[in-house]
Amino acid sequence: MEEDVPLKPEEEGMEKQGTLRVNNLNKHFRSSSQDVKVLDDINLTVQPGEFISIVGQSGCGKTTFLRLVVGLESNYQGEILLDDKRLNGPDLKRGVVFQDHRLLPWLTVEKNVGLGLKNARNEETRRSVQEHIELVGLKGYEKHYPHQLSGGMSQRAAIARALVNRPKILMLDEPLGALDALTRMYMHQELERIWKQEGITMIMVTHDVDEAIFLSDRIVIMSSRPGTIKKIIPVKLARPRDRAGADFLRIKEEVLKEFHLHTETPFSYSI
Amino acid sequence: MNIALQLAGFIRRRYHGVITFLVLIGVWTALTHLRVVSAEQLPAPEVIVTTFLQNLKSGLLGDSLLSSLVRIAKGFCIGCSLGFLLGAAMGVSQTAERLFAPLTNALRQVPIIGWIPLIIVWCGIADLSKIAFIAIGAFFPMVFNTFEGIRSVPRNYLEVARVFQFGRLKLLRKIVVPGALPSIVTGIRLSLGTSWMLVVWSEINTRSDLGIGDMLWSAREGGRMDLVIVCIIVIGVVAFLINELLGHLEAYLQGWKKTYR
Repeated sequence: MEEDVPLKPEEEGMEKQGTLRVNNLNKHFRSSSQDVKVLDDINLTVQPGEFISIVGQSGCGKTTFLRLVVGLESNYQGEILLDDKRLNGPDLKRGVVFQDHRLLPWLTVEKNVGLGLKNARNEETRRSVQEHIELVGLKGYEKHYPHQLSGGMSQRAAIARALVNRPKILMLDEPLGALDALTRMYMHQELERIWKQEGITMIMVTHDVDEAIFLSDRIVIMSSRPGTIKKIIPVKLARPRDRAGADFLRIKEEVLKEFHLHTETPFSYSI
Repeated sequence: MNIALQLAGFIRRRYHGVITFLVLIGVWTALTHLRVVSAEQLPAPEVIVTTFLQNLKSGLLGDSLLSSLVRIAKGFCIGCSLGFLLGAAMGVSQTAERLFAPLTNALRQVPIIGWIPLIIVWCGIADLSKIAFIAIGAFFPMVFNTFEGIRSVPRNYLEVARVFQFGRLKLLRKIVVPGALPSIVTGIRLSLGTSWMLVVWSEINTRSDLGIGDMLWSAREGGRMDLVIVCIIVIGVVAFLINELLGHLEAYLQGWKKTYR
């Protein structure tokens, strides 16, 4: 079993609330004919303010893990604790950004962002919505509808919507997976800025290794069938990170090694 | 000026349809004036115009139309709202679906003619039976379109509602109703179209004092083909206008789609 040494967040103190603990988490998908073990004995502690990436191939259960922590999946064995309290279904302390932005097409950006807030008309709510729209850089697009936005802008709006309730933890399920490479790199910088500015814990599922190294304090590497944590790689590089720097590439090598992709021709593999 | 512009725009958008009408009237005029068909079989267009104006002036046409429209309003309102309620219940609750879906699915297969004996025994042959026919016709499209609309709201959006812990009311208001709206409006459209057909049909089927269907059938009995054609044209034009009106309602209810294009 992998030893789990949490990295201390640089700026914030340890006494801050919002520690997520996952103990001996197991998850099966049962159908009438078969019983598939999706997650096998997952143990992970995430400190407040940390940025964690979960990297793995498709089908390794990383999205299931994320959905379990959000509370959209149930029936698991083990414990998922936030500040030592067992989680039971979704609540507003945990925000989520899905791969598809899931903005409601019939609501404007403004209304979409305010979706999670009660008392939509109250002054405080409006200020909070406006603040978050500005935070993600969508000022001037308040009255636009989702189909009028580009993919990157939609995802920004989705991030604003997830942050507007001031959750302690933001879960991101391949949030930039559908964007083109350049927009994605730009969004990495934006995400880092938002993460710093808000001082929030972020847990991101991704299969983009560069993305994980650029953003994360620790990278959790999962292997498939059943999904287990294979290794946790800390990324102790100063921010903002240089994608072409030697240290960056060394860590990339280390991550790719876990997927047996570290040879001279790192992007071809045989079956 | 503005009206002229709008008219010009309308003609530009719809001129293909206008051409079809003009050609039809041209052929019709030619056929009657060249005596290919007799005046008893097909009166000339100008005779139709004269008959139309006569009946308009005497008030018979207007009164008949109004009387039919009142029937349609009653039948449609009853059928459509009951259909909406049942469809919505079936869409929201699985229990309601299991209870009512098989029955409604079976009953909607019954052609409206199949209801004649029962409806006449229950409701007589006066206005009530006609309203009942219309209500039945309006009911079924509404049930299934409302149901389908609610069921087709993407699960992804329902998860958004779960994440934000929406209450039942907020879930309906923000996600279910707007998501189901296109399908519900289609239901209203089909339902109103059926109602209009059935009001004419039911007036022919069991006669009443006044109604556009009655007028048509009386004209037939009197051998007045010109009046029959006037009635057919009026029925067609009213159906067209109803459809246009609903098109505007649809556009209004889905204002957010206007920004597409």
